[in-house]
Amino acid sequence: MIKKITITAILTLIFVNLSFATDGEIKTNILGKPITLTEITKISTILANPQELLGDTVLVKGTIIDVCKKRGCWMEIASDSSFQSIKIKVKDGEIIFPLSAKGSSALVEGVVEQLVFTKEEVIAMEEHQAEEHGTEFDPSTITEGKTIYRIRGIGAQITK
Amino acid sequence: MKWRKWNNILHRDIGYLAFGLTIIYAISGIAVNHMADWNPNYKIEEMHSTIAPITAEITETKEIINTVLKQLNIDDIPKNSNFLNRETIQIFLENNTVTTNLSTGEVSQEIVKSRTLIRPMNFLHLNHPKKLWTWVADIYAIALAFLAITGLFVLKGKKGIKGRGAWLAAIGMSIPILFKLLYF
Repeated sequence: MIKKITITAILTLIFVNLSFATDGEIKTNILGKPITLTEITKISTILANPQELLGDTVLVKGTIIDVCKKRGCWMEIASDSSFQSIKIKVKDGEIIFPLSAKGSSALVEGVVEQLVFTKEEVIAMEEHQAEEHGTEFDPSTITEGKTIYRIRGIGAQITK
Repeated sequence: MKWRKWNNILHRDIGYLAFGLTIIYAISGIAVNHMADWNPNYKIEEMHSTIAPITAEITETKEIINTVLKQLNIDDIPKNSNFLNRETIQIFLENNTVTTNLSTGEVSQEIVKSRTLIRPMNFLHLNHPKKLWTWVADIYAIALAFLAITGLFVLKGKKGIKGRGAWLAAIGMSIPILFKLLYF
């Protein structure tokens, strides 16, 4: 009996690994809903005029420079302009951005949204990020609240 | 009774068929249930070191990358790079992100390793393959419901659904109801 269970378990694991074999080497990983837009909006354009594009569905492209380490529920993509980036946030579980995607190119369709944070919320957020990155954070450096613009991701294509 | 005989045969054989997937869904279920505490798909290793600062004479990105990687004895070919600010460069290697402060020489490496067994399980559990797997998962879900119902009628008598089974089934059903009342 134990022998049969062991064989079944081994066969199951082989099946799982075979099913997964292609995922690790996928050239283009399609996540979420299919991309419908064709015209790319520059991230620098969005960040220069966020209020004008608020609520609009846009298609952006850039290098993935960071990914949520726990849930894969967000990723940061570099802008076409130096030292600039934008966060792509998705509903937990709906899309999971793979941690191995850092450095890959992403094409993302989503809605531009605005988040307004109070000073206390910014401190809590920065503390959380510092904890996640293992860095130090001094709450006294935060003197006021802030507004963040990000994209609520609907669909994405990640190319290695 | 003939129906009970068939009930038990189907319960047994479908149970055998569902064994493998049940184990996968159970292990992955625990893994993804604790996403707030750990990453169920990857092991993340952080390494910190210091290299000689990159002098201002080196301005070409390619040259900066080569100098950093050479000092770290890394031979991998970078797939991309990004400047977070004038002083900090991220070099993206396969499963390793090297972040370097060029003026101080401080380096942090984030090495990502896939969890060999659990990641494929999560991949299936969360229906990332989609396509045909959606059907497999639906059929499996129907099979589970079938097993639950036929399981009620495996035994007759005092230990069956008319006796002890009724109490245990009622306790089992009361758990989600209780949590629905508490949290929903």
